[in-house]
Amino acid sequence: MVALNSGFLLGKYKEAFVVNGKGENPVKAVFTLMLKFGLIDGLLTASEDGNLPRLILKAEEVEIPVKNSCFGVNSLLKKAVQKYRLSKLAVFGPACTFDGLNKTQYFGIGCNWTKTAVALKVSFLCPGILTGTAFLSEVVDITGKRAEVSRFYFRKGELCYQLRNGEEVTVPPSLHHRYVNSACRYCLNLAGKGTDLTVVYLKEKDRALFIVRSERGLSTLAQVQRSSPSSLQFRKAGREVVDELLSFLKEKVLLNISDIIERVELGLPVPKWNDNKLRKFYRIWNSIDVNFEEEVF
Amino acid sequence: MFYRDKLSFEDEELKLKVGFLHFSSCSGCQVAFLDMFEEAVEILDTVELVYSNMLTKKRDLPPMDVAFVEGALCIEDPHHLHLIKELQKKAKLIVAVGGCASFGGVRRLSCGNQLPQPQHQSFVPITEIDLVKSKVKYAIPGCPPNPSLLYSFLLALLEVNEEFLLPFELMTFSTKVSGIDIFTEVVNKGFCVGCGTCSTACPTRAITYNYECSKPAFSPGLCVHCGSCLAACPQSFKPYPQPTYT
Repeated sequence: MVALNSGFLLGKYKEAFVVNGKGENPVKAVFTLMLKFGLIDGLLTASEDGNLPRLILKAEEVEIPVKNSCFGVNSLLKKAVQKYRLSKLAVFGPACTFDGLNKTQYFGIGCNWTKTAVALKVSFLCPGILTGTAFLSEVVDITGKRAEVSRFYFRKGELCYQLRNGEEVTVPPSLHHRYVNSACRYCLNLAGKGTDLTVVYLKEKDRALFIVRSERGLSTLAQVQRSSPSSLQFRKAGREVVDELLSFLKEKVLLNISDIIERVELGLPVPKWNDNKLRKFYRIWNSIDVNFEEEVF
Repeated sequence: MFYRDKLSFEDEELKLKVGFLHFSSCSGCQVAFLDMFEEAVEILDTVELVYSNMLTKKRDLPPMDVAFVEGALCIEDPHHLHLIKELQKKAKLIVAVGGCASFGGVRRLSCGNQLPQPQHQSFVPITEIDLVKSKVKYAIPGCPPNPSLLYSFLLALLEVNEEFLLPFELMTFSTKVSGIDIFTEVVNKGFCVGCGTCSTACPTRAITYNYECSKPAFSPGLCVHCGSCLAACPQSFKPYPQPTYT
């Protein structure tokens, strides 16, 4: 039985902080400092627009996706682990990236010895990812004019886009649901359960909400702060900030569940939802387990 | 599990007897086992290697609890036919290792007439041979499978971690895996998130990542039917529990 409570929508977490990056994106600042002080030896993520995966090895080259678009991060995993022999890798992406990574770590399929190579997993709260053209179409649908999205963030539980011309656009979840990647319409892990840290972008460019899930996440942030005390300011987030997020997540997850039920009616396989038995190789495809992995590899 | 039954340990030998058998393949799967290096030492404390065409001098197949089999059976080769019959008698449980033994792999693409034995034309994965089918309990995908996968698999086998072993058990029922599965079962069904895990799992670059459409791209001519891509895809099965690695 699925209960749309905080445990299901957001997952277990240890602490939530509002982090100020002193004029810089705090997530970018964290990764830059980590690379600078040798806490990680590489960062696997995507370009700012999210279209190209990036393996970053130097502190001055750090870039992270700021739009809800992030593709192909795991396609560079083998390069990072087997070619560059990175052993303290940080990964930044949406929750689905970590489904692939966690599976690779647990089973060992795909990329050799990945389970001991990853030092930190950071996801962003993902309202569903979009391709470049889907962004353009969505903005036309909302505003009636063509404009490019420069970043996304959450404001009082609402998904917002900042356009290149500085204008702010509020995106209704029901409309957004039509433009996201197909697989995102069936996703039940928007908040990045199974990672060390979930980042929620806020309206101010230099602020973000850090939802810390693991001991490793907490100790890493403590080390970063010790290394450079003046770079980041941490403040415990109030309950209302989390509650606002929960209302957005609930609305989006309900839309997703409705789409999953539609698939059941069509007789299509569904993602981890019921106990349908498919043929042979795919028999366990559908064995739903709503208890998403909470621990971090 | 029957390999832990009384018969296995009646002679006060508490070590699990394992053997590596080689049919028609490149031996890469056995080399992958050896690539476990120091991790293998931990496992060798609890298992006894009773047969391997590369590591032991035995010519006859001794009784064994678990037989790891690599390669496809060549039905024109008398040695293979003898070996599969012996395997059926001597092994209590068979694990098909790698694409060739599990799904046909690169041997499926063989068109025969390979020098120096031109009569060798037909190759069958052991998961399709009725004689041993009942004993083939697990199939491990990959060409070759990663040493870390083999290490985790061996540990799971020793610990009887059924949750870990379940996907490998179900893979024995599959005979026609290829990169096409990624399209028919994941992309076409609307499950592809564009994470790129399949392209990193592919050993032959048959699956690459198309950055323009943010989805995998498949070149059928390069696919060796090893099953890695679909096995690695986070949307194919995700029953992984939550161990914590420190």
